[in-house]
Amino acid sequence: MNGAAATTGASGSRAVWLLTSLRLKRLANQLTVVYNRPMGGGRGRPATAGKKRNRWVVSAVVAFFMLFAYGNIARQSIVNLHLALDPGGGSRFATPSGTLSDALTRGLAMEWSLLFIAATFLSLAGRELSQPDWDLEWLVTLPMRMPVLLWSRIMERAIANPSGLLSLWPAATLLAWISGYRWTAALIGAISIIPLLLLAALFRTLVDTGLRMSLAPSRLRNLQAVLSVVSILLLYLVISLGLASPLAFVLHWARDFPAWGGWLPPGLVVRALNAPDLLSQLQFALLLMAEVAIALVLGLAVLTHQLRGGVVAASSRETGRATSPPRPQSTAAAAAPAAQARVLLGTVQRRELRLLSRDRSFLVQTLVLPVVIVFSQIVFQGRLHGSSLLAMSNATVASIAFAIAAYTLMMSAFQTLNSEGGALWLLFTVPRSIESVLGEKARLWAVLVLFYPITVFIIASVLRMRVDFELVGFAAIVLLGVPIYAVIAVSLGVFGCDPLAQEVRTKLRPTYVYLFMMLAGLYTYAIFASEWWQKIVVIVLSGLLSLALWQKARDELPYLLDPAASPPARVSTSDGVIAAMLFFVVQGITLAIFMASTHHLSGTAIVTAYSIAGATTFFLFRLVYWRSKTAGVPRVFGAGAAKAAGWGLGAGLIAALGGVGYIYALKRLDVLQDVMRESANGLSAGVWIPLLAVVAAPIFEEFIFRGLIFGGLRRSLGALPAIAASAAVFAIVHPPVSMIPVFGLGLCAAFAFDRSKLLLAPMIAHGIYNAAVLAYQSRM
Amino acid sequence: MIEFSELSKSYGAFRALAPLTLTVPRGEMFGFLGPNGAGKTTTIRMMMSILVPSGGHVRIAGLDCHGDAAEVKRHVGYLPDSPIFYDYLRGREILQFIGEMHGLTRAESTRRAQRLMTELGLEQVAEEFAVNYSMGMKKKLGLACALIHEPSVLILDEPTNGLDPRAARDVQLRLRKSADEGMTIFLSTHILDMAERLCSRIGIIHHGELVATGSPQELKEKVTSGGTLEEVFLAVTAESEGT
Repeated sequence: MNGAAATTGASGSRAVWLLTSLRLKRLANQLTVVYNRPMGGGRGRPATAGKKRNRWVVSAVVAFFMLFAYGNIARQSIVNLHLALDPGGGSRFATPSGTLSDALTRGLAMEWSLLFIAATFLSLAGRELSQPDWDLEWLVTLPMRMPVLLWSRIMERAIANPSGLLSLWPAATLLAWISGYRWTAALIGAISIIPLLLLAALFRTLVDTGLRMSLAPSRLRNLQAVLSVVSILLLYLVISLGLASPLAFVLHWARDFPAWGGWLPPGLVVRALNAPDLLSQLQFALLLMAEVAIALVLGLAVLTHQLRGGVVAASSRETGRATSPPRPQSTAAAAAPAAQARVLLGTVQRRELRLLSRDRSFLVQTLVLPVVIVFSQIVFQGRLHGSSLLAMSNATVASIAFAIAAYTLMMSAFQTLNSEGGALWLLFTVPRSIESVLGEKARLWAVLVLFYPITVFIIASVLRMRVDFELVGFAAIVLLGVPIYAVIAVSLGVFGCDPLAQEVRTKLRPTYVYLFMMLAGLYTYAIFASEWWQKIVVIVLSGLLSLALWQKARDELPYLLDPAASPPARVSTSDGVIAAMLFFVVQGITLAIFMASTHHLSGTAIVTAYSIAGATTFFLFRLVYWRSKTAGVPRVFGAGAAKAAGWGLGAGLIAALGGVGYIYALKRLDVLQDVMRESANGLSAGVWIPLLAVVAAPIFEEFIFRGLIFGGLRRSLGALPAIAASAAVFAIVHPPVSMIPVFGLGLCAAFAFDRSKLLLAPMIAHGIYNAAVLAYQSRM
Repeated sequence: MIEFSELSKSYGAFRALAPLTLTVPRGEMFGFLGPNGAGKTTTIRMMMSILVPSGGHVRIAGLDCHGDAAEVKRHVGYLPDSPIFYDYLRGREILQFIGEMHGLTRAESTRRAQRLMTELGLEQVAEEFAVNYSMGMKKKLGLACALIHEPSVLILDEPTNGLDPRAARDVQLRLRKSADEGMTIFLSTHILDMAERLCSRIGIIHHGELVATGSPQELKEKVTSGGTLEEVFLAVTAESEGT
């Protein structure tokens, strides 16, 4: 002993306060991290996530709306129960008030019991359960007696329980309001739920302590996954009571809820809040407190018993071994099927499948949860009743199939980097590019996810007992969309994931998740659009978008683990997409301005709008590239200009021949003659149109479609696919009648540019094509 | 074999590594010493293309570590300071995976994995999930991952950190053996004793700047006229502290 006085340790109440404030601080920090990343100086990326944004405003608004939504659901639940349980019970819009009938009180007791169970499960299903580190292991080293520690833990979990608060408080406030408390309703509601929050905390502590003392960490993770699904289903069940048409079986439960259920804590809270007089209110409240006190005393005794042998059950290493029985060292027996699998699957894909088969949490989150969520939404919206599935339109079936696929991709392909986690460094030690690894994963997830839409279409076909060709068409659109969106998900995941983040909640950047869902939503236009060419436009544009995003992600990959550096500026496909959009938007606005002033579109207006849009895009991009010292900006002139002119001439003549031949064929076949004549009349008016077609259009369009889009695509694709893809994009932004010959022009122009490397070549080709087509049309 | 030419790294205004020029010839075991936060790990991470240089180059076997990132890895084995592994994969499976990613056949990868695990004393835990390994075992598994493709260059960040004395000695012997076989080894360490025993040349880095290079003997004579390596280290890192 060195004579220094030993510390006395914090008092019981002080310990409770310290632990609770610690928990609240952690919750607050979690929110700060989610909305104001990065925290501290750690791994901030100045170019992407490093900007400080005051998103607390957003979270405050979200919290307000959630409270409001939950309150509204609670109100609708009471109205629904009132309608169902009280004989002759009022109208759909009248909220009952004053002392409620016995039947309604019983129904409410059932609803509150469900709410209580859901709140308990929600808090139990938190990630804390699956984390290998257990804070009790270090809390126990503090100078505190075990009962004080356990008591503090329960109090802390009762107070800092956001999911419990969100689900119980609005319902309690509403009930208090109905029972006549009016402006003190929120306060009374908050006080009334304290016993339930205490019980939920006790239950959670009992279960997680018991589980931790008996299960290996890997099993805990699996269990946590199951609990998360169960808690969501429970929540849906409660929420269903508050929907416009509640589920019939939940209403039956409310009607048949046993009388003794009303004497359990949730029922007692309802009765205490809605008691007719002060005396019965006191009686209910006292009974409630007695029940909770008994439960707490018993619970603490059980907890002390659970922890009698210390707070560490078995070392994680031993349990790890127990769950993984040694495999026979000889792999000869497994060699044959494994060899077959190797032919089909890459090394990374096999590892991914192995992880998926072992990590239930990963499996449930990626492949099960999306189906549960999408189907629950359909079921709870009352859209899936036996006969309605048969009556559902093909487009709706297709949109459901795509929704499940997109959601699954968000949970899987989007998170490919996160699934590498801290082990990402291993991929930096092997002679493979990260891009090829991500490519392997994108292909794997695209194939796995295809299973869902295929199943939906098979079920729909089997139920209808016939082959529906329209449905086959929709199936093709959806099945084409899955690989496209797998690529988009992986690409956005590169920006939206932080595999090295310590905190689970900071591993995903919500903005990119929303962006992915928004883009996936756009694809449903391919399902619902009425014209075939509109569908093709959406599919081609989505494909182009996926390539553009992949390219951006690929540029980012070498900088993935670097907190400071970002990729140098290079011309990419996404520049082309943005340029094309800018071009059409500016043109549209200018035309609208002309329309507003003159009420008709003259040739001059068209030429002016086109020129303004083209010039704006052209010079704006040139300016941006010049300022950012971008590499790979396409040039018009340079060494080999004469040769380029030759290529342009050749390509232009071939394209022109195709264009004139197409118009001739249409004329001979007597197809689309009205359209052709109309466009010929419109086009040949004045000298402006030829000027536009032969001079302005080639300069601006070639810069965008060949210079940026083809040039960008060529960085990721071979010559032929890049030529074909850029020509397809070029074709779809033209009117449907001219798509085919314009596609031909796109092929020729891109080919000429690829050979000459100067924009002069496709510009000449484009000019010749437009001149020839105009000349031929004017003769018709 | 390893050539640094004006390699530098900055995080905004903070200079993590001043332009570093240094050559480590084939077969040399080079010790990279320095206090905490001196820039050792930053340098190593740039060699592994985990970080992108702010300036200059580092080349291994004539290949640029940033530009030819994938190609360089054929020649290099890397062990980080604190290796983290995948959940739900056994030690043997991780080693096999890395072997196959290096292009080995499944059979060859299995054979080498088994040999390395035996050699490094991991055979008892080969079938356990690697996340459950102790720090020392993780370090050994990381070393096995670095060695499985029989590289010509080893880059090791604190290779004996977290190992017990026996394991640390085993690893040192293994490194000695690899160096004798002609492998080039670049290792960072705090353990001066180990550096002195193993390394033919030492570089001391402080505040991102290389402040001394030479064989342990040369440094001792030049800096402290016959003192210990610890004295050399304290002298050169204290010296530049004021500047």
